Amino acid sequence: MKDKPFILAVDHNRRNLELLGQFLNKEGYQTISAGSQEEFQQALSGETEIGLVLVDISGFDRQIWDLCEKLRDDQIPFLVISPKQSAAIQQESIAHGARSMVVKPLAIREFLGMIRGLMGE
Amino acid sequence: MSQERLLTGISGLDELLDGGLIPGRAYLVRGGPGSGKTTLGLHFLAIGVANGERTLYITLGEPAEQIRSNAEALGFDQKSISFLDLSPTSEFFTDIQTYDIFSPAEVEREPTTQKIIDEVKRLKPQRIFLDAMTQFRYLSTDTFQFRKQVLSFMRFLVEQKITVLFTSEGSEAAPDDDLQFMSDGIINLNYLPDKRTIRITKFRGSGFQAGYHSIRLTSMGMEVFPRLQPGTYKKVFAPESVSSGIAELDQLLHGGLERGTVTIMSGPSGVGKTTIGLQFMKEAAGRGERSVVYSFEEELEIIVRRCQNVNIPAQSMIERGTLSLVKIEPLQFTPDEFAHLVRQQVERQETSIVMIDSVSGYRLAVRGEDLVSHLHSMCKYLANMGITVILVNQTEAFGGEYRGSEYSISYLADNFIFMRYLERNVDSKLELRKAIGVLKKRLTDFEKSLREIQITRYGIKIGDPISGLRGIFSDLPQLGKATDGKL
Repeated sequence: MKDKPFILAVDHNRRNLELLGQFLNKEGYQTISAGSQEEFQQALSGETEIGLVLVDISGFDRQIWDLCEKLRDDQIPFLVISPKQSAAIQQESIAHGARSMVVKPLAIREFLGMIRGLMGE
Repeated sequence: MSQERLLTGISGLDELLDGGLIPGRAYLVRGGPGSGKTTLGLHFLAIGVANGERTLYITLGEPAEQIRSNAEALGFDQKSISFLDLSPTSEFFTDIQTYDIFSPAEVEREPTTQKIIDEVKRLKPQRIFLDAMTQFRYLSTDTFQFRKQVLSFMRFLVEQKITVLFTSEGSEAAPDDDLQFMSDGIINLNYLPDKRTIRITKFRGSGFQAGYHSIRLTSMGMEVFPRLQPGTYKKVFAPESVSSGIAELDQLLHGGLERGTVTIMSGPSGVGKTTIGLQFMKEAAGRGERSVVYSFEEELEIIVRRCQNVNIPAQSMIERGTLSLVKIEPLQFTPDEFAHLVRQQVERQETSIVMIDSVSGYRLAVRGEDLVSHLHSMCKYLANMGITVILVNQTEAFGGEYRGSEYSISYLADNFIFMRYLERNVDSKLELRKAIGVLKKRLTDFEKSLREIQITRYGIKIGDPISGLRGIFSDLPQLGKATDGKL
């Protein structure tokens, strides 16, 4: 499991991060988390090899898209987590390089399927 | 009973359930707020504890501490009951770290079920009370999931041979039909403005007593009063006559009142109905038999004093145990509760005569419920037990057109004795006299004439048949001209 790349969870809400972390760990993934834009940036510039990023855009401003574009440029796949079903957010997500957009609350089984796909399993 | 039954801790409820619950099954207790679900659950666990069983109370709503202190107040041995408290703590509210990434159902369900599974495996209880199963509804994403989850949860419990009572707060807004289908039995608790009832609507693999039955929540917990079902009681007795001890009255009745019959003693106020009834009891007491009077109107001391005044030694009869006077306050009991009281008294001690004084008082006690059916089952029950039943029925009018009885209860009577005021002229002075007669007697013939009755301090005196009386069912019967004035 050591060889598996990390999943980076980005969420403004600490409790959400905790739950995401618990869930992913239980499924056998190693995670790091970021609760703010700064932490997000640090995580990207760190040593850790990141295989997938989950970005919950709630609570962030538009600058979050810049970071998303950076992910695209670095060829790191990412999912955008949206607080609501919205065509505008979906368009924007795809335009900034997201593989897909998922809406909260997440249906666990479906979500897990996507992660597995993106982690190349 | 072929099956082994598990007592619920409430004897009346066990009676409704034909002896108790069938072990290893899951039963639903339904009822609104304050209907007594928790109390029932505590009884169920407490009797388990008393039998040396391991019991578990799983609470999803009310904090365990609160239940414990309430149980303590009701006198339950709560220390021996294990609690699994899954109710939300106050931190849940103060903790600002709410989440929205997953649905609460996905996040909370697993820890909740895991805690239950762990506790059940650790404790291996024989009885579980789960309050309330409806909470799981909020932990399921949809109704299908809920159903599947509850079913598999119940199967898990039942596989461990656990008998489960689980509650539901079924209401119109949140129906619990699905839970009703899934359970092996349903106990409904109802809280109406003036009374509480219990009703069994399902019991797989067993018979049960249907219908609404009274319950009472007291400082001792819950009591259930099954409705009287006269057919189930039968006693062998000799259908002999019970003498009144007054030769003329026995002549009037061609022997007396038979055991296992119902007699309506009808007449206006003050005519002596109760006294006649007590006269039968005095005679029975002489044979060493016991009688019971349920007085709905008169205070007991007054009855005793009145008896003494007419040479019926009520006080010494009470002391020797041949007479019980029971005062029933109006609105004190529901009909089922009263029936329970009567049953206790006649089944614990051999009883010869029971008098209900009066029907109007009883009617007040049943609070607008169906008087005739309750009185019917009560009288039939007593008659089946070989008891001579006397119903005192006060007719409203002193004069007026004669009415046999109020409330159309005449059909209940095997014997119908009526008493009336008579008018007579003595030396151009008007006098009121009293008379007694029989209208109906099912088992024997009877005298068709009226006799005068006098209640004196030496006792009841009954005269010879009155002749020349006219219009005895009219306003006031009068002696005709043909009479010699003997009366």
